[in-house]
Amino acid sequence: MEQILANGLYLGAQYALIALGLTLIFSLMNVLNFAHGQMYVFGGFVTYTLVAQLGLPFIVGLIASAVVLAVMGALIEKFLFRPVIRRSKRDESTMLLAAGIAFFLDAVILLLFGEKQRGVPKIVGGVFNWDMRLIMPYDRILIGFLAISLIVGFILFMQYSRTGRAMRALAQDRVAAQLMGVDVDRYSMIGFALGAMLAGLVGGLLVTITGINLGMGGPTSVKAFMMIMIGGAGVISGAIAGGFILGMMESIGLTLLAAYGDVTYLVIFASLMVFLAIRPQGLMGKPWG
Amino acid sequence: MSEPILQIRGVTKRYGGLTANKDISFDVRPGEILSVIGPNGAGKSTLFKQIAGFVTPTSGEVLFKGSRISGIAPHKVARLGVVRTFQETTIFRSMTVRENVIVSHHLRSKASLWGFFLGSAQARSDEADFARSADDIIDFLGLQAIRNELASNLPQGHLRALGMAIGLATHPQVILLDEPFAGMNHDETMRMVGLVRRLRDERGVTVLLVEHDMPAVMKISDRIVCINFGEKIAEGSPAEIQANPRVIEAYLGSEDAAIGM
Amino acid sequence: MTPSRLLGVGAFLLGVFVLVPLLIVLTGRWDFYYTLTSVALLSVGAAGVWLTFYIGRINIGQGAYALVGGYVSAILVTQAGFSFWATLPMAGLFSAAVSVAIGLPILRLRGVYFAMVTLVLTEVARLTALALPVTNGAKGITSIPLPGELSIFGLTVIPDFASLGNPKLAFYLMAAVLMVLTYLVLWRIVNSRLGHLCRSLQQNEELSASIGVNTAMLRVLAYAISSFFGGLAGAMFVAISQSIYPSSFVVTDSVNFMLYCFLGGLGYVFGPMLGTLLLYFGWDLLSVAREYQLLIYSGAMIALMLVLPNGVLSLLEKKGGGK
Repeated sequence: MEQILANGLYLGAQYALIALGLTLIFSLMNVLNFAHGQMYVFGGFVTYTLVAQLGLPFIVGLIASAVVLAVMGALIEKFLFRPVIRRSKRDESTMLLAAGIAFFLDAVILLLFGEKQRGVPKIVGGVFNWDMRLIMPYDRILIGFLAISLIVGFILFMQYSRTGRAMRALAQDRVAAQLMGVDVDRYSMIGFALGAMLAGLVGGLLVTITGINLGMGGPTSVKAFMMIMIGGAGVISGAIAGGFILGMMESIGLTLLAAYGDVTYLVIFASLMVFLAIRPQGLMGKPWG
Repeated sequence: MSEPILQIRGVTKRYGGLTANKDISFDVRPGEILSVIGPNGAGKSTLFKQIAGFVTPTSGEVLFKGSRISGIAPHKVARLGVVRTFQETTIFRSMTVRENVIVSHHLRSKASLWGFFLGSAQARSDEADFARSADDIIDFLGLQAIRNELASNLPQGHLRALGMAIGLATHPQVILLDEPFAGMNHDETMRMVGLVRRLRDERGVTVLLVEHDMPAVMKISDRIVCINFGEKIAEGSPAEIQANPRVIEAYLGSEDAAIGM
Repeated sequence: MTPSRLLGVGAFLLGVFVLVPLLIVLTGRWDFYYTLTSVALLSVGAAGVWLTFYIGRINIGQGAYALVGGYVSAILVTQAGFSFWATLPMAGLFSAAVSVAIGLPILRLRGVYFAMVTLVLTEVARLTALALPVTNGAKGITSIPLPGELSIFGLTVIPDFASLGNPKLAFYLMAAVLMVLTYLVLWRIVNSRLGHLCRSLQQNEELSASIGVNTAMLRVLAYAISSFFGGLAGAMFVAISQSIYPSSFVVTDSVNFMLYCFLGGLGYVFGPMLGTLLLYFGWDLLSVAREYQLLIYSGAMIALMLVLPNGVLSLLEKKGGGK
């Protein structure tokens, strides 16, 4: 039992970070970022390159992942999404663009890093063992702890910093925010950069444990979509709740349903469908109309 | 006096702890123009939504010609002959005026969906009928000049008329007009008042409307129901309503003290 | 039908059924048959996605129905001994039935929510195929026989594919016929009252209900037709490749179906067909670029989106509008 909870918490913290970035981008620009999973993979490879190939300390790799992805996010917003949003007749056009970017990032990752599974050596050794009831390697504990601090940091940033407040105003009502003097273009760019950075950070964190490979992008996006559907799209608390719920369900499912084969995700999907039929706006989302 | 065409019987609607409508009852007689008035947030729109089937009452019921219509799907209520029109923004934006009116004849089509697909004789005769009837309605409302305009390009006044045309196309027995005069200047309002009258006189439609513009309401209505804080506080002829102390209080106590006549 | 439109349709049919095979014979690029067959079948699936767009829903789940249709056909042929031709409509109908069951709850969702659920649906289909015994898990179903003879009252309408000297051509023609029929149906839907009602749904669901349209029923109907097309396409693919795996249609395929529609233009019935041709054929031609294939392809897609955010067929509009 303790083991399941601890695993769920550890997974949930990573998931919540991914979902936070996706939901931030969605709430600011009404864009469903298909490329989010690819950004996560890219972040993982940046850390891998710096730590495993150049032998730099892990923290340097992590910061590099954050910076590279933030810059990438800012550029993508400024030169791709902004002009398309301005000129297209329907909101959905941005989906094509986002999917195009996802493919493009896949291609870049393939050319730069290849298609092999990559990992970095353990950053700390040893295993925490509490009476055989709870067994967890120290590196997982460290990564889980880092992820939770990042979530807390993000919430504090959104709550108290000037930029965070401006972004929240923008997410609530674009027109009103504009009237209040919020520079919409600027904060959309910052928001996109921040969302991409979060994806990159998780990539950098997880490369130390699960490793990283080219094929992880798509499934990661699908999982991130599920999390924000559970919690409610565009709501920060919803993304965090969705992340932890999914992490917990996965942890419980893998333990309890192992006897029936690989059906955990099937069960999760099916329950999500039922849940959405009852509560289409998710846990924390606002109902429409 | 004839049988009421629409009966509102003790309708109550609660949203969580909030009571939007509390035990509202009144009758609508065939062929009359009845207005529901009340300050902003008094619960007028909620009442309308319940009559048209978009919202199910918490308790109470709405009867049309003696049978219950509250709590059933909007398209079924519309089929029975009670149709709600919307404020001006609610039209099919990327269709022309004529297309808007033609498509709104849906209720009266006799051909099945399968018939539409195959282009059966019935479907073709339906289409011809609808086109003719749409042109009638367009003429009736004086929209000939903008017949082939795209709806999204229309100015406010025309949009309102188009909304009414959409409502008419369904051949309603009772039409619910949601703030038909909102945002209109005096001349436009008077033209619209004339139009609503003709709707009743020439097409025999019973009209139920929600409105803020007091002078127009006083001019157009046969009877008025006033609600405040979700409760009915008065019902009667325009003269009776103007003299009712509770109505005056309700309006003086609120911001839009526009009962001046 | 106006003479010019008749001429256009004639030219199109001539191109598909005569010119393409002729060109392939002349150039000797027999591999194009496979590519063009795929284009034709994918555009059948894309036609379905386009119809869901037409009622105002973003559908990224067509891969799921293609997979369902493929498995239905494969299982019936290999385990129940059905003729492929009998399984083709059954695959479509089964997919449609599944979509009704799924559509009833999820079609109430709008916008991005519906899009995300349909995307997840593709994963559900893949995992279900992995978990069920009848689909044979990850090993899939292989060595499915080629379509046999189809005869009506002893008259051979379609010969046994195994006996043909050139099954590639036969598959191409079959796929092209299916594509033409699909777009005929789609065109007819859009230009009948049904299409007007769908458009009313796309633009304003509430108003649509107040003029008496049974919006819930119409949404499910459109979604079922869409999934029927998906199932057909899936079954045909299986007949050609003679095998099916849980990974035969994945999330990327679902996304691609959506992209074909977007790229062609959502306002035009033939948009998805053109979009499929451009993207899939373009992808195939780019295989000469080897490891840069995906880079060039996606780069071109992004560039196209920057230049024509409303689809390739929106070029026609500019000409007409004279702006």
